[in-house]
Amino acid sequence: MKKIILIIIYTFFWRNFLRIFIGLKYFNNKSLKNIKQFILVANHNSHMDTMAIMSAIPSRFIHRVHPIAARDFFGHNLIQKFLMRYLVNATLIRRDREDPNRDPINDMNKMLQKQRSLILFPEGSRGIPGIMSNFKTGLGYLVQKNPSIDVIPVYLDDVYKTLPKGKKLILPYNCSITFGKPIDFKSYEMEDILETAEKEILKLKNRN
Amino acid sequence: MNKIFNSVDLIAEIQWVIAIILIILVFATVLFWLWNKLSPSKLVDEMQLRTRSWWVMCFIFLFASLINPVVTYIALGFLSFLTLREIYSLLNLREMDRSVLFFCYLCIPIQYFLAYKGYYTLFLIFIPVFMFIIIPFLLVLAGETKDIIKSMCILPTSLMLGVFGISHLALLISYPEMNTNGVSGKALLLFLIFITEANDIMQFVWGKIFGKHKILPNVSPNKTWEGFIGGVISTTIIGYFMGFLTPLTPVQLILISSSIAILGFMGDSILSAVKRDFGVKDMSNAIPGHGGVLDRVDSLSTTASPFFHIIYFIIIMS
Repeated sequence: MKKIILIIIYTFFWRNFLRIFIGLKYFNNKSLKNIKQFILVANHNSHMDTMAIMSAIPSRFIHRVHPIAARDFFGHNLIQKFLMRYLVNATLIRRDREDPNRDPINDMNKMLQKQRSLILFPEGSRGIPGIMSNFKTGLGYLVQKNPSIDVIPVYLDDVYKTLPKGKKLILPYNCSITFGKPIDFKSYEMEDILETAEKEILKLKNRN
Repeated sequence: MNKIFNSVDLIAEIQWVIAIILIILVFATVLFWLWNKLSPSKLVDEMQLRTRSWWVMCFIFLFASLINPVVTYIALGFLSFLTLREIYSLLNLREMDRSVLFFCYLCIPIQYFLAYKGYYTLFLIFIPVFMFIIIPFLLVLAGETKDIIKSMCILPTSLMLGVFGISHLALLISYPEMNTNGVSGKALLLFLIFITEANDIMQFVWGKIFGKHKILPNVSPNKTWEGFIGGVISTTIIGYFMGFLTPLTPVQLILISSSIAILGFMGDSILSAVKRDFGVKDMSNAIPGHGGVLDRVDSLSTTASPFFHIIYFIIIMS
């Protein structure tokens, strides 16, 4: 049931809306088809980013892909939680770490062990438009614990212009989303992981 | 489905044009295919890509313009939308201009609705009069005066380039006086687009083969005197032989075809200068081999409204 709802929303509505009306171009999203489980890491400037990535995911396993969202931002009330859970397929995590027993890293790790894929914005928040800020360490812990899972870099070019931070009106702009090849980590030191991931995302920027 | 195809009435002249277009496309495809076999080069590859895009564009255009007027309006409106989107994606507009951009996009359905209804006067003044007053005022309401003059100039002008000119194509098929006494708006539309695009191609071909003396050295290195003059002459000849689509006399045909050629060149140069200012070669990469949508319709946006008014004047006079 959930799968059908997600397919209708993303594969039929958002994909066509983004492609025809907004002017989003998909590059290389076919490469996802052959990968069973993955962590997508992308640059983050707008709520539109999640929609763009979700709409590019093959409908066959869209119900197994979960964007990671902050509970303090998206979980204010029950309705919002419900919408995030069923219409965005999101997993809400705590950024504040108030409760030491519920470490957000553990939550994400559990999802990965259940064969789920994650969409991660390692910058942590939407930040300044068009500028990539430093990556948070959460991605590093996940990679260290699950070295066998493919980490795929995604670059969103100009997608933030369609819905900048703090605005409510969605406007069309020509923009693009590019998927890269799974990252090949040379070393699993925390700093190296973050640096490699950032570099791979920026590499996609310069390719177009 | 029947309802859509009911209004298809292909008069003999239009059938001729479709045949001519198909022959040209087949000829170009075979020519570049053979050329590529004999001596492959980068130029031929690009020409093949361009020809392939022409196939797609011709079929979309013939389908959209001949099936049903409503389909034509929606297709032309979408063309305007693509053009505006291309312009606004390249412009670095201020953040508070976003809400005004929404109204710019809103102009498209209004303008095409006016064309559909055939409200001639309102159609003519809606953008050049009303929007040139309303959009600057909306920018004032947005409340930031820094750099406001730039936005005040760019936004209405983009409407002239993307919406006003192209929407005259729609007016051609809906305006009652264009569709009586043996005059067919559809045929006129075909004539205009055929001549304009032929002019683009001819100027390109003459420039590539004989081009030596640059006509606008500061704007575009590809535009030459040889291309311009050769383009105008060959467009006039083509226009003369395509005259069976129009109710015009031979003298009128020659005058109109040559002025379309010159106007098309003007539109092309205006957009070249704009692109040079933006620092890009093409507006986007929407059409393989051609660049953006606006790169293809730039000359149409300047030829469409003068053509309409000349024809209107001639029909009223006779």
